[in-house]
Amino acid sequence: MATETLTRPRVGRRARPGRARRAHPTPAGLGLLAPFVVLYLLFLVGPIAYLAVMSLFNTSLVRPGLGGFAGLGNYAEALTSSEFWSSLWHTVLFTIMTTPPLVVLALALAILTNRLARGRWFFRLVFFAPYVIPSSVMALIWVWIYTPDFGLYSSWLSSLGIAAPSWLGDPNWALASIALGTIWWTLGFNFVLYLAGLQEIPRELYEAAAIDGGGPWQQIRRITIPMLGRTTTLVAVLQVITSLKVFDQMYIMTQGGPDFSTRSAVQYIFESGFTNYRVGYASAASMLLFLVILAVSVGWFSLVRRAERGV
Amino acid sequence: MATSTLTRSAEAAAPAGGLARPDWRAKLFNRLCLGVLLAFAAIWIIPLAWAVDTAFKPEGETTIAPVTWLIDRPNLEAFGKVLGGTEILNWYVNSAITSTLIAATTVVFASMAGFALSRVPLRARSIWFWFILAGIMVPSQALIVPLFREFNAAHLLNTYWSVVLPQVPLAIAVFVFKQFFDGLPDELVDAAHVDGASWLRVYLRIFMPLSIPAISAVTIFTFVWSWNNFLWPLIVLTSTPTMTLTVGLATVQSDIGIAYAQIMASAVLGLLPLLTVFLLFQRRIVEGIAGTGLKG
Amino acid sequence: MAEDFTRRRLLQSAALASAGAFGLTGCGSYLATGFAGSRPPPRTVTYWDLFTGGDGGRMGEMEDAFRKRRPEIDLRTATFLWGDPYYTKLSLAILGDQPPDLAVSHATRVTGYARADLLQPLAADDLARHGLTADRFSRAAWEASHVDGTLYAIPLDTHPWVLYYNTEICERAGLLDSDGILTSLDGPDEFADAMHRVKEATGGWGGMLAININTPSTFRFFYTLYSQLGGQLLADEGRRVVLDEEKAVRALSYGRRLTVEEGLMPADVDYEGAVALFASGKAGFYIQGEWEVTTFTEAKLPFSMVPFPNVFGGPYVVEADSHAFVLPRFRNPDPRRTDAALTVARGLLDESLTWAEGGHVPVWQPVQRSEAYRSLDPQSNYAAAVDNAVYHPPAWYSGSGSLLEIHVGSAVASVLAGQATPEAAVARMGRALQRLAETPSPL
Repeated sequence: MATETLTRPRVGRRARPGRARRAHPTPAGLGLLAPFVVLYLLFLVGPIAYLAVMSLFNTSLVRPGLGGFAGLGNYAEALTSSEFWSSLWHTVLFTIMTTPPLVVLALALAILTNRLARGRWFFRLVFFAPYVIPSSVMALIWVWIYTPDFGLYSSWLSSLGIAAPSWLGDPNWALASIALGTIWWTLGFNFVLYLAGLQEIPRELYEAAAIDGGGPWQQIRRITIPMLGRTTTLVAVLQVITSLKVFDQMYIMTQGGPDFSTRSAVQYIFESGFTNYRVGYASAASMLLFLVILAVSVGWFSLVRRAERGV
Repeated sequence: MATSTLTRSAEAAAPAGGLARPDWRAKLFNRLCLGVLLAFAAIWIIPLAWAVDTAFKPEGETTIAPVTWLIDRPNLEAFGKVLGGTEILNWYVNSAITSTLIAATTVVFASMAGFALSRVPLRARSIWFWFILAGIMVPSQALIVPLFREFNAAHLLNTYWSVVLPQVPLAIAVFVFKQFFDGLPDELVDAAHVDGASWLRVYLRIFMPLSIPAISAVTIFTFVWSWNNFLWPLIVLTSTPTMTLTVGLATVQSDIGIAYAQIMASAVLGLLPLLTVFLLFQRRIVEGIAGTGLKG
Repeated sequence: MAEDFTRRRLLQSAALASAGAFGLTGCGSYLATGFAGSRPPPRTVTYWDLFTGGDGGRMGEMEDAFRKRRPEIDLRTATFLWGDPYYTKLSLAILGDQPPDLAVSHATRVTGYARADLLQPLAADDLARHGLTADRFSRAAWEASHVDGTLYAIPLDTHPWVLYYNTEICERAGLLDSDGILTSLDGPDEFADAMHRVKEATGGWGGMLAININTPSTFRFFYTLYSQLGGQLLADEGRRVVLDEEKAVRALSYGRRLTVEEGLMPADVDYEGAVALFASGKAGFYIQGEWEVTTFTEAKLPFSMVPFPNVFGGPYVVEADSHAFVLPRFRNPDPRRTDAALTVARGLLDESLTWAEGGHVPVWQPVQRSEAYRSLDPQSNYAAAVDNAVYHPPAWYSGSGSLLEIHVGSAVASVLAGQATPEAAVARMGRALQRLAETPSPL
């Protein structure tokens, strides 16, 4: 259940059917596909169908069977529930808070790091290391940093004579505080993607620019950033999709509080299904979230396809 | 030490930017870049360093305001209490077992499927291809409810299998393998067929040995993902001895009030395994991300 | 059954093989659990609770005392975060057939758990073997542990809503009698008057109530006042809303009078803030459940406690809940496990005095009637209040930390904070309750 599963489809590259296509189909192919496909059907395709069915019933977590038929009642309830919308809004707000810094800052730091002749490994290590930390460890560390009075940030601010906000305790601050910790946690991934993108820019372009007398800033603006356009699209879309699925750090750091100001859409599904036992309703909410994420993925996919056809 | 290398490298950095002869502007610019980078590096290091610092403090020194990085009596007491007073050692083993099973099974199954899609004559190949590729777009978070019911009905909740099985059919892994196999020359297959080798043999003896980069990328990524996965194990692993590290650290509370040194000691213990993996395989991980855009 | 059996056997042999492969056969009882879902031996009792902070420390002491007395039982404990995280974990663990042998639950949550078939019904003769009989428990708490006439929980305490007061400040305000005891504050004007006098004495606030982002507090405050007026919220197991709008408006108007209208209590303070302000003498009264005793004792605050006043003068009632022990359901119950779990429950009840020091009123009569408990001051002052306890109305969405508490509590908070009129809040409350009542029960 890897949480994120998007790739850069190399659509532009010709798939290589090789000689295989001309030969007669053999059972070997199905045999090789079988183990994966069986699990795929059992734990991905099947559950989607089950999800769709349950969303039409008043299914309960603690009762066997599907329960009474609800028609589209669960969807109607979700779409008119202020709690569903507010949790979706927190998710969107979180996406808005995290995506621009995670894209822009990662790009800036990657460009700066790429200018170094030596010591790149050091910055790659520093920025990427937090990314491999489990969410629970990230949450423990940031809860400690945000502790009032003797937490690191509060203490720094008060030594500057500024009254620290109640980072995680104030509904107006909690989401932003979690977003800040998340930027620290996941920036490294985008940073590494950008570093890789930078390697693919031909040196000749810079040399030509240098002969034309462009300064470093000109180079970055005229060559580097436009040449990274494709990477930026990839980074931004991956970031949006990841943020829409946020759950871990909010659930661990604030349990969705204070006053539900950090309850994400996934947590709303989790609570509807597993805390309130309303599995049918949670299924309908899951379907709605699924559709939102699917729309973003498909939108991006077709965008990339069109761009590549245009090239 | 690192700093001195970096300062030198900054002076040498201009060529990397592609300038034949650095003028003073470029030099100043590079200095500025390094300054900004170092400032951000400091911001990035501080949270981890603070966690480590706190973990070595005696409990009484953690709640002093204003905070200080200095420790009067640095000791390992907090680590001892975490190792002795919680089930963290169990959690390590549980995480290691489930992540290893997931990574190993995923590599085998996904490479087989990727090979079939790439090389083996197959009826309706493109339908199979798109059928599996579509799985990439399914957010696993949306499936927690039906999956829970499935495992509940099978009486498999709270076992390793409930964590492992749903994480194996990873469409992206099939895709990575297929891409990789597509890039290998056709002649490999032709030569093998002249020798009368079966498809299974071609897969095992010829393609797999040539696929170390793809295998290592998929292994490392599925391992890291499953180690860090939280939501699904949170739902299915509810008894404390079977929890994974991520779930145990986040949910099991200390009943003796808040002990910051202990919490940070458990955080440090929790980040050690993957940080070690990262340090060992840094190059492969970074190449893997760059090559595939895999994201956890 | 047979199928289940062979499947487990198969998994167990797989477990052994794998454990061997990992070279961990020696230390792998949890590996067997992980691979095959097998359970530890019956002398091992797993016990879960949701106590952290002061309560957590006390429960730890009680567990240690038990371990010393009954070394033959291997007591393993785990603590999870209060409220939904704990109850969700417990439900999922029971559905996954790896629950703890013994767990703590609020009495108000027991009904829902029992209706969902998540708990073992407790047989009188099993209990009697451990001396757990009705006559040794407070009547109200014992009755609250029954669902449809069947016993599902063993109560540990009752925790009523109380009034803390700062003895020095109240003395200056002339609110103590010659024996140094708080004079009666019953009656709406009497209570508000006392707050006014305290406010003059402190120059700060009259009282403290956690209003900001703490729906349990605002719910309990409202529910106490509303119940004192004779109001009820739900009927028919939560399928019908019987909110009395006139009484609800009266209760809320009184709350509003204390906060925004007469400025006796701050309208925007959260839980920690309320504790800190009372502990530092910025207010003479503090309204909350009785579990903050330890905090104020440790702060060396001159304080005492009384039952929450009878503000509206009718028959006295006060909001309360109980912590109780429950035995989660196993697919294949094992009488030896039940027995071991009951041994632990009884052992912890015997330590009720330690528990009572933290403020909770013990329901275990041998302790509640003991001289040692009666001489606990201020913990025994409000013990009588438990006879007039009013619990949450039964519904699948009620209980401590429930949807009921959240919806009603946040409507109440909006009035106390001056953001809504009592009428608007009651209307909001009614809509939310109606919606919950119409939602098909998942139980």
